[in-house]
Amino acid sequence: MSDIAGRPGFEDAFHKAAERHERAWVFVTLVMLMGILACTMYFVVYDYGVVVRTAAYRSDPTALGGPAPGVVPAADAGLVKTGPNAYAVHMVAHMWGWTPSPLHIPEGATVTFYVTSIDVLHGFEVKGTTINVTAVPGITGEVTYMFKHAGTLDIICNEYCGIEHQAMLGRIIVDPKPPA
Amino acid sequence: MSIALAPTGALSRPAGDALAAQRRTMLAFLVWGFSALMIGAAIGPLQALNYGGINVYPALAPVLQTYYQGLTIHGVLNAYIFTFFVTCGLLIYLPARELGLAPNMLLWRSCFGLMAAGTLMLLYAMFDNSSSVLWTFYPPLKGSPFFYFGMTLVVLGSLLPLPILLDMRARWKARRPGEVTPLVTYMSTTTMLMWGLAGGGAAIELIVQLDPWSAGLVDTIDPIVGRTLFWWTGHPIVYFWLMPAYVSWYGLLSKQCGGKLVSDPMARLTFALLLVFSLPVGSHHQFTDPGFSPVWRGILTALTLSVALPSLITAFTIGLSLEYSGRLAGGRGVLGWFTALPWRNPSVAAQVLAMVTFIFGGAGGIVNGSWELNNIVHNTTWIPGHFHITVGTASALTFMGVAFWMMPHLTGRKLLSRRLALVAAWLWFGGMSVFALGMHWAGLHGVPRRAWVSFLPQTVYDRFYGDAHFPLTMVAVGGIVLWLATFCFYVVFLGSLFTRRLSTPVPIPFAQAFGGAESYSLDGGEPIGIVAHRHLSPLAKALEQLGLITAFTAVATAAAYVPIFWPFVNNITRAQGWSVW
Ligand SMILES: [Cu+2]
Repeated sequence: MSDIAGRPGFEDAFHKAAERHERAWVFVTLVMLMGILACTMYFVVYDYGVVVRTAAYRSDPTALGGPAPGVVPAADAGLVKTGPNAYAVHMVAHMWGWTPSPLHIPEGATVTFYVTSIDVLHGFEVKGTTINVTAVPGITGEVTYMFKHAGTLDIICNEYCGIEHQAMLGRIIVDPKPPA
Repeated sequence: MSIALAPTGALSRPAGDALAAQRRTMLAFLVWGFSALMIGAAIGPLQALNYGGINVYPALAPVLQTYYQGLTIHGVLNAYIFTFFVTCGLLIYLPARELGLAPNMLLWRSCFGLMAAGTLMLLYAMFDNSSSVLWTFYPPLKGSPFFYFGMTLVVLGSLLPLPILLDMRARWKARRPGEVTPLVTYMSTTTMLMWGLAGGGAAIELIVQLDPWSAGLVDTIDPIVGRTLFWWTGHPIVYFWLMPAYVSWYGLLSKQCGGKLVSDPMARLTFALLLVFSLPVGSHHQFTDPGFSPVWRGILTALTLSVALPSLITAFTIGLSLEYSGRLAGGRGVLGWFTALPWRNPSVAAQVLAMVTFIFGGAGGIVNGSWELNNIVHNTTWIPGHFHITVGTASALTFMGVAFWMMPHLTGRKLLSRRLALVAAWLWFGGMSVFALGMHWAGLHGVPRRAWVSFLPQTVYDRFYGDAHFPLTMVAVGGIVLWLATFCFYVVFLGSLFTRRLSTPVPIPFAQAFGGAESYSLDGGEPIGIVAHRHLSPLAKALEQLGLITAFTAVATAAAYVPIFWPFVNNITRAQGWSVW
């Protein structure tokens, strides 16, 4: 069988070792992947707020209408207080800007964003946070995030939406708590 | 050599002309595919300069009007046209030579014809700037009908290798009852079965949604349905790019290195697992989309991580095969085998460098698939950084390596310059490494992908992306190196069409597996097919049930997609189209 002259012993030995190591490798790999899966799921549970949920559907993307019963605030309502330190805002993406922007948020507030688009796909990314939601025409997505530190945050559109895509920028201003 | 049979009268070898026709057709696929890459890769560095803050588009006005137009051409030509042509050529030509059977030439040429016609329509629609919708063409952005109908032809054409392969495999099995399919044919057939199931999403999106809409037959479109259908195809397409590279790594490379493939059954297992796992997980590209349940996102995460298993097996098996070759060549010690590989052979160097890059590509892929980590990187420059070291290097650089032996094999002419070919491979590897590191890094700073950031006023660019200045400079530098690499490669590739004729034909470097027969090739003409263990491996035998594996995958895919589509079809959106570029 050996076409490499004089090396039959080497090939056999290599083959045997290979099969042994192969089984070990597959085992290690499976354990590693399960470990990664466990870590991933832990983070999801730990920071469930930024997992995208679905708040509403509508047939005509341009028709935002009034507030959906009990959930989504009206599109022009700005930041709405929903509880102690809890707020909601209806963030509308359109070519080529964000409404409302700039958005003022009190430091330490937990804000639920209801994100949708009235024209094409956009992407709602708040730079430096884990907020990342596709703004889909006809569907309202929902994420919750706590703004712990005062300062200015940038909103960037990260889904291609036409010629001014790069300029579809917005701003969130987290206002410092008044000194107690 | 117990398996090697003498050809019987009934199995007469194909005439010389038949082989010449196969070679010509293969060459046509190769040249068309690499010509697409030439245009696409020439545009690419402009996008890298864009991220470095340099806006060159005003100077290119009549040819390219915007960054987005260039990006559309770059993506469509590189991701679809280049890969489809090379793959639809290779995955017919190699099995045909391995089995010593003639493929159905009419179907194979129809595949070429449909895809070529589609390419011309796409080029027309992209160069007149009527369809700057990028390679994902998400509705309700609306391009011209030429774009969508051209894309439809390309997709339909790319499915034609499946019946050709099934026919060849059936003919072979009829003559060799009870034997397992030779390895290269097995891998090619599995790849095309995967693509047959995967292509359904894009085909439905195009034929049911986009074609009638762009032709004016319907007024509105449902964006999320289109996007979900797209990713049904758009994730497995990653494996349609990668599996042909694996075919070369498993089926050919060990021979080129002077060694053997250490495990034939593991190669089969890898391909069967890729067939099963790549299909149901497409919506992990939609972790940040609203509209379907978080429960499915969790299941998708688990399935997505499973896709890593076959690639990790590949890393092991191919690594070990290379080690065997290196040790035979006299390599000693922990890493001596690696340096003892035939690095002076540009085909080997390109493919081994492609693999090294893919190790990092695979690691990054695990991050992308990990749900919440995905929140940090989704739609940032991390993502194109990732796929430029997977499809853009693991696949593309491997295909370049294949071209380095295949051009002389097909044309009977000498490779223009071995040295320049080596330079091209190393420049591609180096340029892409710098580029991709910069892109990943900038992505962690939140720099969005696909954005004409160099068109922003300098103050805005600095305010938003100033913190990523260094990685974005790396992106631009990497792009310039890639320009050089592209230039060197095409001097070799195109130049090799006109060099002097070789006196002896260049054979296909079919590898041999440990314990495997040297050849299954029936024509006795050009050597040499592989493989399969002499003692039939039970695993290889079980994996012969490709029909069952495919049926199982189809059911699993349906089970994964019905719950995702359910809320969408119950809440139809009627969106109008927008042409805004
Ligand atoms: Cu946008």
